[in-house]
Amino acid sequence: MKRYLLRHPGVARLGVILLMLIGWEIAARWFIDPMFISPPSRVLMALGSVFATPNVPAALRLTFFELAVAFALAVIIGVVLGLAVGLSKFGNKTFMPIVLLLYGIPQITILPIFILYFGIGPAAKIAFGVTHGMFPIIMAVVAGVQNIKPILLTSARSMGASNWQILRHVVYPNMIPSLFSGMRLGMTGVLLGVLLAELYVSTGGIGYFTSMFTQNFDPTKLLGLVGILAAMAIALNELVRRGETHFARWRD
Amino acid sequence: MTQAATNTAISVRNVSHSFGEADEARHVKALLDTSLDVTRGELLCLIGPSGCGKSTLLNVMGGLIAPTTGTVMVGDKPVHGPMPNDIAFIFQENALFPWSTIHENMILGMSFQGVPKAERADRAQRALEAVGLDEFAGHYPSQLSGGMRQRAALARALSLETNILLMDEPFGALDEQTRMVLGEDLSVLLSRSKKTIVFVTHSLGEAVFLADRVAVFSARPGTIKEIITVDEPHPRKSAFMTSARFHQQRDQLYDLLHDEIRKSMAQSGKPKRAYEDQSSRAGPAA
Repeated sequence: MKRYLLRHPGVARLGVILLMLIGWEIAARWFIDPMFISPPSRVLMALGSVFATPNVPAALRLTFFELAVAFALAVIIGVVLGLAVGLSKFGNKTFMPIVLLLYGIPQITILPIFILYFGIGPAAKIAFGVTHGMFPIIMAVVAGVQNIKPILLTSARSMGASNWQILRHVVYPNMIPSLFSGMRLGMTGVLLGVLLAELYVSTGGIGYFTSMFTQNFDPTKLLGLVGILAAMAIALNELVRRGETHFARWRD
Repeated sequence: MTQAATNTAISVRNVSHSFGEADEARHVKALLDTSLDVTRGELLCLIGPSGCGKSTLLNVMGGLIAPTTGTVMVGDKPVHGPMPNDIAFIFQENALFPWSTIHENMILGMSFQGVPKAERADRAQRALEAVGLDEFAGHYPSQLSGGMRQRAALARALSLETNILLMDEPFGALDEQTRMVLGEDLSVLLSRSKKTIVFVTHSLGEAVFLADRVAVFSARPGTIKEIITVDEPHPRKSAFMTSARFHQQRDQLYDLLHDEIRKSMAQSGKPKRAYEDQSSRAGPAA
């Protein structure tokens, strides 16, 4: 039995998840006030009614739109700033400590400023998502540029490569695996930023409905919505991971 | 005089090189007033204690390092930077691009050098056949053994069709048997082409087996102490390696090197006394 599980870790993993769900089901059915928690079976059954709640599909679309735009911007800004900082010794020594300092600040403290500047609409959520997502990407790009083996640069130079060719054919492919792991962290950051901003103040989007369901003591719908959100996050993460395996297939 | 000039592939004149600024603690004089002529079509080995500047000289020859003083000429052109049309490098470390297959590596190298697109695939194929790797064109470097990777690096250099190959301990990271076989292959290649090769090595046997001439370096700051000639036509067979002459020249080389290696080691700390084994003294008398 033990040997079978050691050889099939997926089965063990599935078992743990199943046990957790059963524990949750039992606790929610017989031990905890239904105002606070709902059993997973009921949450699953209620998924339809979540979608049927007026404006929830639109809210999901809006949040997804905010996530996509924020992620795209975070990647673009992250790559540009990462290259600017990482490509020169001067840039690295001068700006990297500043990047690390900014990354260390809990941004939630300045969320009200974002609302002040960008309003209570999607712009503030996108902006807050971008500032959360771009830092891991900047750091990943800097690391990807810096960890290049010097011999590869020397070798390219000896064969007559121009600066642009070195950037395009040596620095860029060397950065790709690191960029993708940065993008996965960035995706988590973007989710955090967008949802935090939505929870803080929102007229649409998922954040509005999570606070509404909570205030109405409707844990079934709340957990259903959270489940949908989790599925969305897992799907996005998986997408980036697929890209990572594809573009880094040369690493054994 | 003109005869001598046309027979010289690389001419090094009074080259000195230091790393770091003169007032810095890590200022190192690597090369001191070195002059050397590499004859067209020969294989010249540079051998010497580690840190003696032989790799530095190779990089200076290829334009990868600008010397502090002195000049290098390739043919009639002064060297001021990489000369991809005249010189190809092979390094000790694996310098293949890991994200490209062997074939893509070769195409990329030729595109850097400026080979017309139409010629690249054909040249890549021929060079891979010459080193016996044509079946592995679609493999990534990480899928090949160390010896195969160095053969691929050699193929990439060959595809550039330069007259000069500069090899910096190309077989240094390989095991003894693999490097012997690759050495024989290189000797065959040399007998067929008219390439000029400068080859840095640590191995006395490799130097005698491959070289037409061996330049022996002194300890740091390095300069050429003596040049010995190995008079044996290429391609050299393994029988040469077991001949009396091979051993005699290897011993001659070792004599030349021995003092320099000691000197070089003294620069990085030397033993103060012989190690006394405490346990044998404490043990019962025999």
